[in-house]
Amino acid sequence: MEKKLTKIMAQILGVQENEITPNSSPDNLSEWDSLKHMNLVLGIEQGFNISFDDEDIMQMLSFEIILETIKEKI
Amino acid sequence: MNNINKYSLPEIQEFLDNHNSTNDTLFNIVILRNITIEAIVPYLKYLTIHMGFQPNIVFGNYNNVLQDTQSNNDVLINQNTDCIMVFTKLETLSPKLINSFPELDSESVEEEMNLVKNYIVTTLSGIRNKTNAIVSWHSFELPIYPAFGVLDHSRPDMQIAAITELNNFLKTQLLDFKNCYYIEMNSLLSIVGFKNFYDNRYWHIGKSPYTLDALREISIDNFKLYRALKGKNKKCLVLDCDNTLWGGIIGEDGIDGIKLSPNFPGSAYLSFQEEILSLYNRGIILALCSKNNESDVWDVIDNHPHMQIKRKNISLAMVNWEDKATNIRSIAENLNIGLDSIVFIDDNEFEINLVKELLPVVETIHLPKGKSANYKEMLASSGLFDTLTFTEEDKKRGELYKAEFKRKNDKTNFSGNMESYYNSLEMIAEIDKVNETAVSRVAQLTQKTNQFNLTTKRYSESDIREFMNSKEVEVLFVKLKDRFGDMGIVGVSIIKFSSNYAEIDSFLLSCRAIGRGLEKILLDASIKLAQFRNFNKIKASYIPSNKNDQVRSFYVKNLFIKVKEQDLKHDFHFEASNTLELSPSYYKEINIKYLSKIK
Repeated sequence: MEKKLTKIMAQILGVQENEITPNSSPDNLSEWDSLKHMNLVLGIEQGFNISFDDEDIMQMLSFEIILETIKEKI
Repeated sequence: MNNINKYSLPEIQEFLDNHNSTNDTLFNIVILRNITIEAIVPYLKYLTIHMGFQPNIVFGNYNNVLQDTQSNNDVLINQNTDCIMVFTKLETLSPKLINSFPELDSESVEEEMNLVKNYIVTTLSGIRNKTNAIVSWHSFELPIYPAFGVLDHSRPDMQIAAITELNNFLKTQLLDFKNCYYIEMNSLLSIVGFKNFYDNRYWHIGKSPYTLDALREISIDNFKLYRALKGKNKKCLVLDCDNTLWGGIIGEDGIDGIKLSPNFPGSAYLSFQEEILSLYNRGIILALCSKNNESDVWDVIDNHPHMQIKRKNISLAMVNWEDKATNIRSIAENLNIGLDSIVFIDDNEFEINLVKELLPVVETIHLPKGKSANYKEMLASSGLFDTLTFTEEDKKRGELYKAEFKRKNDKTNFSGNMESYYNSLEMIAEIDKVNETAVSRVAQLTQKTNQFNLTTKRYSESDIREFMNSKEVEVLFVKLKDRFGDMGIVGVSIIKFSSNYAEIDSFLLSCRAIGRGLEKILLDASIKLAQFRNFNKIKASYIPSNKNDQVRSFYVKNLFIKVKEQDLKHDFHFEASNTLELSPSYYKEINIKYLSKIK
């Protein structure tokens, strides 16, 4: 699941997979702006066939938190 | 059409990352909007690349549609703009109409509606002051749960009626402003389904209303327009017979055993045939490509009581045991059309894959086994044959191509020399200046002609109309008739006049009129027109494309002198001091009608 998420995030943010770490967040990845965040949310939902709750979306601001949120949904 | 439906956003992103299209021509899309819609970009890029162009997508600022279209600044919209997409959601444009309709009295409703109407007109005039680029305006969506609930739909004075009126107004304005098209969001909403069309979370978070599914469908609809604009729409449908036009196999089941009737399961094939026939009546050429005994197939077509497609609808039939790629290649040759204007339909995956492999430019539609009830929709939803215009010539196209095939046959059987063959055709050419009835066909020819097209410049109806009204431009067209039939308008020449020279801006001939010396008649007429207006120096150019190699030497062969040759453009001159007769002698009549109407 980590691998799949890394791949999706790299593709949508337009960075290399090795640039995505558990600590990746909008603070340390300049590509991760609010518009990209939306694509990220929609892309992850499509990729994992899940739907995030309203509140989740604004809190999913690091690789680790996103991973945890996906695990809760699956 | 390009499998966009199969891919998720990350997959599309991956395709885009790995694709290098920097050599292709730019396709410049401008998006004006009062919502956040940046997430549409990957879909638009994907479809642009599949159309053979390099995408360049720019957004106007959020909710700045009026400012963007009224300012003098040409950073956003300029001469390079190919198309403008307008998204104006009523939630932002007139929140009262959407959110608090029951509070409004009839005067306030009217006031709100007038604001919206003014906004539409002001925006469109602003755009047209800047460019003639194609505009696609996305209609106002009807609320699924309207303001007055179940009563709303029944009343002419409530929310649904008000929004419908705005949409009708929008549609009328778009038609008036030319080259502007209405994208029916309510149809797209139906295709995707209300529950999957909107993402309410992102509407609240960032004024971004649509889901990825919605954005994908919106993109697909826009590209139906753009493909037509860029001449990428298809012209010919090549059909398999067994398990495609009817259920079963004629060679085994016999004419009484195949499934084709008003009742299931034959009714699925009957509807499919009706859809094909509608395409024929829209000007699409039909051809058959089937592995069968030819007489069996014609027996069904001529004698089966429920056969909708008749012999007269079929321009060419390749019914034999050859492989289908060879047959499709010879259909293209015989009808004188490019392989890239062909769509091939078959239920057999092997045949589909063979054609994909050997003729990758041919578009294919595979009809899956056991899903015959969906065949009609599969064809209708493809949008592959959509055009921006519809003319009288289109209605007759099937017949015209059938005549073209007869002519070819005649040519092969002809034992004498070409001159006497041409004489026997009894050809009549007529040259005239563009007029209102010819505008749409002339525009269409500039949009669709690829092979015999010296500069491949694409013009919309409004461009042609502008030329028609300008003193500095003359647009000539040529019509051709022969003993097999009337081909209508088949060639166009656009001549622009500067202070001391005339320049042939566009010169083209429909592929079905190639090889009859008609180009010489049109060129001769263009030169005479320039001379008549006292221009002795005529410039012309050839702009190479990957389709127009056959006209590389056209001007040199016709008394022009090459003055410059660069990769992207070859320039030619003609000194029209002496009168020359280029027109061939084997025409029965050449009528030049324009001389009395010179500007």
